[in-house]
Amino acid sequence: MKDVYLLVGGAQGSGLETTAQVLAPAFASLGYGVLANREYYSNIVGRHSYIHMRISASGEPKALSYPVDFVGAMDAESVFTHWDDIREGGYLLYDLGVARTRLIQIASMEPELKNRLMEAYKKHGIQPTVQGVVDYLEKEKGVKVIGVSFTAVFNMLVKKFGVARAQAQRFRSSILIGAIVGLTGLDPQAVDLGLERRFAGRKRLVEINRELIRAVAEEVSSEHGTPLKLDQPEVTEGEYVVATGNDIVAMAKIVGGVKYQSYYPITPASDESVFLEAHEHLTVDGKDLGNIVVLQTEDEIAAISSAIGAALTGARSSTATSGPGFSLMVEALGWAGKNDVPVVITYYQRGGPSTGLPTRGSQSDLLYSLYASHGEFPRIILSSGDHLEAFYDAIEAYNLAEKFQMPVIHLLDKFLANMIASMPFPEWSKIRIERGKVLFEAPRGPWKRFPQDEPIADRPVLGSGAWTWYTGDEHNEWGHITEDPINRTIMYERRWKKLEIADREIPVEFRAKLYGDAGADFLLVGWGSVKIVALEALKELEAKGFKGAYLHLRMFSPFPAKYVEGVLSRFDPERVIAVEHNYLGQAARIVTMETGFKFRKFILKWSGRPMYVMELVRGVIDVLEGGKSRVVLTYGK
Amino acid sequence: MASRGAVAYRTEVWSDWCPGCGDFGILAAMQKAFAELELDPANTVVVSGIGCSSKTPHFINVNGVHTIHGRGIAFATGIKLANPRLTVVVNGGDGDLLGIGVAHFVALGRRNIDVTVILHNNQVYGLTKGQASPTLRKGEKVKSIPVPNIQDAVNPIALAIASGYTFVARGYSLWVDHLKELIKKAIQHKGAAFIDVLQPCVTYNDIYTAEYYRERLYKLEEEPGWDPIVRDPSEDEEKKAAAIKKAEEWGSRIPVGIFYVNPLKDTFEDRLQKRNPYYNSAKPPAFEEISSGDGKPIIGPDEFRRIFSKYIVSVRRHG
Repeated sequence: MKDVYLLVGGAQGSGLETTAQVLAPAFASLGYGVLANREYYSNIVGRHSYIHMRISASGEPKALSYPVDFVGAMDAESVFTHWDDIREGGYLLYDLGVARTRLIQIASMEPELKNRLMEAYKKHGIQPTVQGVVDYLEKEKGVKVIGVSFTAVFNMLVKKFGVARAQAQRFRSSILIGAIVGLTGLDPQAVDLGLERRFAGRKRLVEINRELIRAVAEEVSSEHGTPLKLDQPEVTEGEYVVATGNDIVAMAKIVGGVKYQSYYPITPASDESVFLEAHEHLTVDGKDLGNIVVLQTEDEIAAISSAIGAALTGARSSTATSGPGFSLMVEALGWAGKNDVPVVITYYQRGGPSTGLPTRGSQSDLLYSLYASHGEFPRIILSSGDHLEAFYDAIEAYNLAEKFQMPVIHLLDKFLANMIASMPFPEWSKIRIERGKVLFEAPRGPWKRFPQDEPIADRPVLGSGAWTWYTGDEHNEWGHITEDPINRTIMYERRWKKLEIADREIPVEFRAKLYGDAGADFLLVGWGSVKIVALEALKELEAKGFKGAYLHLRMFSPFPAKYVEGVLSRFDPERVIAVEHNYLGQAARIVTMETGFKFRKFILKWSGRPMYVMELVRGVIDVLEGGKSRVVLTYGK
Repeated sequence: MASRGAVAYRTEVWSDWCPGCGDFGILAAMQKAFAELELDPANTVVVSGIGCSSKTPHFINVNGVHTIHGRGIAFATGIKLANPRLTVVVNGGDGDLLGIGVAHFVALGRRNIDVTVILHNNQVYGLTKGQASPTLRKGEKVKSIPVPNIQDAVNPIALAIASGYTFVARGYSLWVDHLKELIKKAIQHKGAAFIDVLQPCVTYNDIYTAEYYRERLYKLEEEPGWDPIVRDPSEDEEKKAAAIKKAEEWGSRIPVGIFYVNPLKDTFEDRLQKRNPYYNSAKPPAFEEISSGDGKPIIGPDEFRRIFSKYIVSVRRHG
């Protein structure tokens, strides 16, 4: 097989993450591409959670799709929930101990899903028990069922390894891993590498898990063979970074020279700051490579305010947050905009408004980022389409902030934040540190920080020798308050001139990119994590006879209007489709504002779940062939 | 000498406070204190929020960061932690520091960052025409409000002590030299220092007038037996309790002076350094090099591999 899709489900807190943490590096070490998305509730223990994973023989996989080849169910709820996510002839592992569990007994399942399932089961003549679902899948869908008595496994662990009975439950994930290892014939050495990564230094845990995985794998493959065996990987040599988007961005910030990061805990952003906290001192072979101050603040207002303060001292400074946190930051954002402060806000979008879907993704804060805070002031907005883009962009965000002396909002989303990917090792030739007109040493004395005729002026930092004034009021060249109308007119324009300069200087090819042929028959326009899905969908569409291209928007301010206009002009407007994770088509609206191009076709998803390749493919066909102008995607549990 | 020195800490910006405003006294006391401490303007930062008193940075000839309402302390926190070698003084009004910004006021105490906070306390929101502030007492009706205030006042001294400030004092804006001494001590103190400065608002507050204070204020240092300094950790609880009790005194007699000092508690900067001895050792974080001369990051691919080894996977060659 070229690609294998896996889904493992279980209750939150039951060790589900371990499966991805072990399998991702294991497969990656052999040259397979790995992408694993985790879906979970805003809950600590008990709610249904699952990991949807793709392993690809053809390098890095770009996106996820359904149906899957294998569902590993840690509990009854996972069987009920994902019954229709398995392909015909796929594999289902479940716990024999829950065979008699009835759907109505699943207290943790939300009533909306329960009702939908009841109806679906009724329609298909399925008994609403685990056994009923299993029987149906086996008989009607040709699914091969792997029943495992979890209790028997736990008993074995107690007996053979002396594991405490209460602890035995924690090895569930290795039952699932074992089945996957068996079905795919994964090399045991690779499994060892995965276990070492996951249980670093805890020898006994590695040993028990290894034994359990081996035992399950042997049993599964003795009955089923290795039906999910992947082709030889195309990659035979290389180096990959296997990590979540949160971690990748944190690593990039470290390379980019972050010296101050503030945060207030919020999903799905805080993992990034916690990662940085764990690296507050950087050292290799006793060589001091620098320090990072990471401050957990009392609220997001303090997070951005202190980050701005740190930026005034010359520190590369940032804060990471999500929608509700950003809402609290906007007043201070305006102060940074007013005072030419290079501060970076790493913004992981989740479902809003209000608390919304705290642990689910969206792309609904683009317009908000562009206009947040009262008054008018320039800012740079960039967004990343995949892990590697996020890595480079997190570094570039600091460069742009310092070069153009304005706040930079780096938009990401929950999908990318929580997805584990095997990312190619970054190319250092592409990385530069550019600090603009910062001065760490300046002549002693009061300093004219905001010369009228110099939109981007020398920036002596606090402590540089010069002294400077800053204010949120309208200011004169010295940073002192003035309400003078002529000064106001000049200073106001001075701020906006910085964006004009940025627009001239930031290469267009960095800000937007056309993937595919400009002579293609249709065009998808998207941003952020839509990129990975769109690029895969185009391949499948081409195989079906639809030849399309994808326009990826990476920077919304300054917006590459001319380039985008040029690309759009080469397509039939009826065959240009905006693809976004929101209701309004927010990027499309920005395109309209900036170019005058009016979108007629939309494929949108705001359910909080990632976009999947197969639903986008279907959506595009519905638009191109079915005459639909607005397709709303909803796949995913 | 001192007065000549203070002139150097003045800017040419005209102070647009009401004639007779208490802010003038606080400004003069700050300039004198800065002069006597010979603070280097380049390494001194006056931070403020919003309100009449928050215009202060523009009138002092050192770095000035005039921020947004209530957030002066939060800005100051980032400034100080990124460059602990700077002397940072925050000015704010009672609405700014104890109303909209109270979360930051409490947080600074918890952290005990080496920052001085000067509260301009006049019981009203001056710049918006005299609404009740968090320090106006329940039942009081200053002339600028139409009905008596029915919210209880917060006690700034007690709140500062409860929050963890390690230097807590009260001054009076018209006793400039007394206030100057408090400011000097607060700046010299290692840790979060707080001075509650009582000041008449001549325009809106007809209760807490200069006359009112003249009749009631007395100096703690002149009280026999008053000793606010913690000299051994075992004294801390007792000294705090005594200070809070003293802070409740508000009637025919109102104390000014030092309420509480604990020089023994570690600052946040100490705590950071204890956890990471490299913090602020060679250079403050803000001044650390992040790239080599040619624009390449200090962290190259080899350093990256070493630091993040558990995330890096090498694919071996097959055959």
